[in-house]
Amino acid sequence: MPRPIPDLDACAREPIRIPGAIQPHGALLVIAEADRRLLQCSDNAAELLGISLAADGAAPPIDALGDPGFAADLDAWLSGSDPFLRSAVTTAARSCEVLGHRTRQGVILEFEPTDGRDRETLDRLYPRLQRFLQTIDGTSDLRVVAYAAACEVRRLTGFNRVLIYRFDAGWNGTVIAEDGDGVLPSYLDLRFPAADIPAQARELYRLNRLRLIPDADYRPAAIRPSVSPIDGAALDLSFATLRSVSPVHLQYMRNMETAASMSISIVIDGQLWGLISCHNRTPRRVSPTVRSACDFVGQFLAQHIGGRERMEEAGHRIALKRIETGLLARLARAGSFQQGLLDNAEAWLSLVDAQGAAVVTPDGAMAAGRTPAGEQIHELVGWLQTQEGGPVFATDSLAERFPAAAAYADTASGLLAISVSRLHASYVVWFRPELVRTVTWGGDPRKPAPSEADPTGRLHPRTSFARWSELVRQKALPWRRAEIDGAADFRNAILEFVLRRAEERAELTDELQRSNKELESFSYSVSHDLRAPFRHIVGYAELLNDHAASLDERGRHYLGSIIEAALAAGRLVDDLLNFSQLNRAALTMTRVDMRKLVAEAQRSLAVDTGNRDVEWQIGALPEAWGDPALLRQALFNLMSNALKYTRGRAPAVIAVSGDEHERENVYVVRDNGIGFDMTYVGKLFGVFQRLHRAEDFEGTGIGLALTKRVIDRHGGWIRAEGEVDRGATFTFGLPKPEGETLRG
Amino acid sequence: MADLRPLLLVEDNPKDLELTLAALAKCQLANEIVVARDGVEALDYVYARGQYGNRAPGDPAVVLLDLKLPKVDGLEVLAAIKGDSQRRHIPVVMLTSSREERDLVQSYDLGVNAFVVKPVDFGAFFEAIQDLGMFWAVLNEPAPGRANSSEPWRQRRWQGD
Repeated sequence: MPRPIPDLDACAREPIRIPGAIQPHGALLVIAEADRRLLQCSDNAAELLGISLAADGAAPPIDALGDPGFAADLDAWLSGSDPFLRSAVTTAARSCEVLGHRTRQGVILEFEPTDGRDRETLDRLYPRLQRFLQTIDGTSDLRVVAYAAACEVRRLTGFNRVLIYRFDAGWNGTVIAEDGDGVLPSYLDLRFPAADIPAQARELYRLNRLRLIPDADYRPAAIRPSVSPIDGAALDLSFATLRSVSPVHLQYMRNMETAASMSISIVIDGQLWGLISCHNRTPRRVSPTVRSACDFVGQFLAQHIGGRERMEEAGHRIALKRIETGLLARLARAGSFQQGLLDNAEAWLSLVDAQGAAVVTPDGAMAAGRTPAGEQIHELVGWLQTQEGGPVFATDSLAERFPAAAAYADTASGLLAISVSRLHASYVVWFRPELVRTVTWGGDPRKPAPSEADPTGRLHPRTSFARWSELVRQKALPWRRAEIDGAADFRNAILEFVLRRAEERAELTDELQRSNKELESFSYSVSHDLRAPFRHIVGYAELLNDHAASLDERGRHYLGSIIEAALAAGRLVDDLLNFSQLNRAALTMTRVDMRKLVAEAQRSLAVDTGNRDVEWQIGALPEAWGDPALLRQALFNLMSNALKYTRGRAPAVIAVSGDEHERENVYVVRDNGIGFDMTYVGKLFGVFQRLHRAEDFEGTGIGLALTKRVIDRHGGWIRAEGEVDRGATFTFGLPKPEGETLRG
Repeated sequence: MADLRPLLLVEDNPKDLELTLAALAKCQLANEIVVARDGVEALDYVYARGQYGNRAPGDPAVVLLDLKLPKVDGLEVLAAIKGDSQRRHIPVVMLTSSREERDLVQSYDLGVNAFVVKPVDFGAFFEAIQDLGMFWAVLNEPAPGRANSSEPWRQRRWQGD
């Protein structure tokens, strides 16, 4: 469905402030403020005012009017600072009401003849205005208030139809209230495209609230001379009520079959909110006094609507803030803000009155409510990253900005997104579904075909105001200001939350590292200091051994036990030291010849084998990548274990081999020893875990823990399989370095 | 050819001292063994000052230096000896209580000549000391250019605490 194309853009370029003419129901004089001499006048002024203006040497225009009362009013006004003059003058020809205002091109005086019939005074209008105020005082329903205003203006002016016309964000207008006598068709609830009232006309409406066209078929009265003697430019009639209007607008009026129109701007907080738009089938004049009363109604309406909107907005903001506060409180207790959002999806959605929401971080996406599919959300976020314009993004017609979104317009025609990380592509997004609705235009708002008379289509207002319905698709309910602002607030809160979390986590990590270090250094110093006394016990016992001859057998046994115990304790301490050192020492990674390490271990163990019958089966052993000293220790531990637990086997068969795989090398140490019960396999690699009685097999129970730690630190794995009395198999894998082949 | 210059043993722990001396005694070295109980005493001996102001001239055949010492620690003594061009040829063997300490000394890279991690197993300790003692005191050639005093030095054996 194509968007309505404005048909009166050409109109927006018309110089409506300087038409060079006025409507002829009044006359206009421009006088110099200093000496009151005539600068410019409308070419109907002399006739309408019944004075001579053209000839040189004529009396100054104010004197020529011959009304000292008016001259005094003018003097008083010019010596004051009131921006507008309101007065009356009675000339030889007729009585006129006079409006005056200053411009940089001189003082503009506008004269509108009055006749006894429509002569209204504020005194007479006052009771009616008061009634109007009382009528709308008790209600806050916009339609009721607007209708009351329409009725009041129609009563004041006698127009056939009075509309209350409200602009939307795109400057399209909708008639929200209407009062009429049936002479003109009803426009209630119709929508008019923005181009019907072009931008510069809207700006003029904002500045000058009242505009009147008593007769659309008027012949303009030109301003003479055509340019101002002050600055050589055309006279700026922005604030003149007699300003001649665009011929396009007159054509527009004729197309609407209205001969007279008046509009009163409803301006709220300096913004044009809407218009009170009055029309009459036949020409109709409205006296300045009545116009003032209408302006008063308009201003009152503006105040009323403004107050109501502000209250509603404030109420909405308070409600959103309450939701946000509650949500943040719950987020603060959550593990992560993502999880917190998900756990409080209802509040998350109601924060901006959305039907779906998602949070997307480098870790993934989580969604709640009605949302596009995960893949679509990722694409959407990818596109969002390319969008500029601040951390908050809002649209009520996503497919228009991001065509791919048309596929899921039913869930996400509205998108409100906040970026919640300064580093990553992290977003919290809300979705609103498509709101298919029918808009009834006051005539087809699309561009009319150029006609023969006007081949460009320019200056050719549409001629049909018949109802024309359009189905609006791929549009969601627009995001309200309070919701967008709320999202921005929420973003700040999330950023703070994430930041605080990160700090807390960093603090915790620091603390853990500190306490870990303390623990390590504690265990190190304890074992280090323990080492000396054990060394001394062994040393002195050995010295005592030199005197063993003087001891009896029992004494020698005791001495031997002391030495044994102290040696065991010393080994324990050494192992502990090794273990704690292993956690701290940095790895020196290099290629390691595993055949060499195995051979070295075999040599070291040869001392322990003594005259045992040991059959070493050494298979293929691919090179490993690791710290040679640590790997030596790990291999030694496994082989020494195998040797230890095959004691009593004849032959003891110990097989060591390795296999090269794509990403790792796997090594196996297998024995035919006493094995172990797989029930306890989980305990095998624990520090000081033993599966056998100490008197059966010596050792501190730290060897396998140490081995596992070595393998772990290499990023590898180790596992054990065993069967009681059938042997044990230890298998470990060591990863290959990335991007390097060991056979290079 | 035996070098009969004295060995300087620097050790503050009395038990380690006694055990080390016992081990050295088993080597039956002819060399005198001079004992210093802290780093200050050790340097006093090396520089023939303080209580050693009147000692016979000449450098020790080897210094067996404990790492942890009161006042001036082993590393400082090592740094002083190896930083002095007149003394840096004196062989220094560091006695450390653990492999960790050995690494520490190595990291200083001060030109230490050998390490001995004091083993709990007295036998191993004994062998290490014996090896060192024999090597430095008996087998080692003195550094060239140093006069080899042939004067027989008084045997001075440490007699315990």
